Amino acid sequence: MKSNHIISLLEDKPLGSLSESELATVKAHVGQCAACLRAYRSAEISTLLLKEHAAHEFEPSHFFATRVLARVREQQAANEGWAFTRLWRATGALVSSMAASVAALAVLTLVIPAEPGTQQTAGSVAGLYSVEEVLAQDNLLDSELTDAQVLNTLYGSTGDSEDSDGISR
Amino acid sequence: MFRFASRYLKQRELVEEAAQEVFLKAFTELDKYEGRGSLEGWLTRITTNTCLNMLRSSRRRPELIVSDLTEDENTWLESKMVNTANEQHQSNERSLVAADLAARVLGTLSADDRLVLTLIDGEEATVSEVVELTGWSQSKVKVQAFRARRRLRQAVEKLLTGKEETTKRS
Repeated sequence: MKSNHIISLLEDKPLGSLSESELATVKAHVGQCAACLRAYRSAEISTLLLKEHAAHEFEPSHFFATRVLARVREQQAANEGWAFTRLWRATGALVSSMAASVAALAVLTLVIPAEPGTQQTAGSVAGLYSVEEVLAQDNLLDSELTDAQVLNTLYGSTGDSEDSDGISR
Repeated sequence: MFRFASRYLKQRELVEEAAQEVFLKAFTELDKYEGRGSLEGWLTRITTNTCLNMLRSSRRRPELIVSDLTEDENTWLESKMVNTANEQHQSNERSLVAADLAARVLGTLSADDRLVLTLIDGEEATVSEVVELTGWSQSKVKVQAFRARRRLRQAVEKLLTGKEETTKRS
């Protein structure tokens, strides 16, 4: 203690929490050591300053609550703006992908020509010949043909161009 | 929250700024509050961290010497040199002078020193309470407090020595 004086005791814990025996040791030592006496007085004043520092408090000003609420609203507005931007970006991505899909389908449908054989085969299979198509293929005009010729062209010579009642069509 | 911030920051504008910041943080991060501790404790931790960040970002005064003191501060210090802790009751004005002087002396210390001294020596908080508030380890709090006390004492001692020299000269 003599070599280290009492300075470490002053720094180890707040001055107010020194025990009776520690305080007695400090007081006995500072009576005969000028350096420690100065340190002790400084520690006392430091403690006093810290107490005053802690005791001094501010009260919020009258407009404090208003200012805080205004900032909260600003923050909310900023967050909403950000949320809208994120939504817009997400929607934009969706719209873009949909537009790309539509464009791809349009290209496939309109630009790339279908193979004629494929189309015809499909028509034959489905039996979807129209009178106009057949006549057009044979370069015949509808007005120049009789009903019988039309039927003959469509269904071939079946030998029953006349109905059983003998009426010529 | 406002009062808690005013323990660390001794300028009204700074206290209001800190308190606003804390309210905003609490508002935007309320979903992060897990309800494990008390809401008050959660808010106090936010306040402590906000004030500590503000203290860290504020410029630290390099040193305080006797010639920097105001007349009132000089008078207060002289009275304390004569009779240190016996004068229990002092006027509000003198209290304010002391609080200002304390803020100026503390202004020469680091933010961490200021925080730990304010809490432990000023507010009589326990080491565990400071651990809870700051998230520091127990040994860090103890070492920080020990060193902070030394630095504060040395700063005050320098002022007292300066005062004594001035008195001798005059």
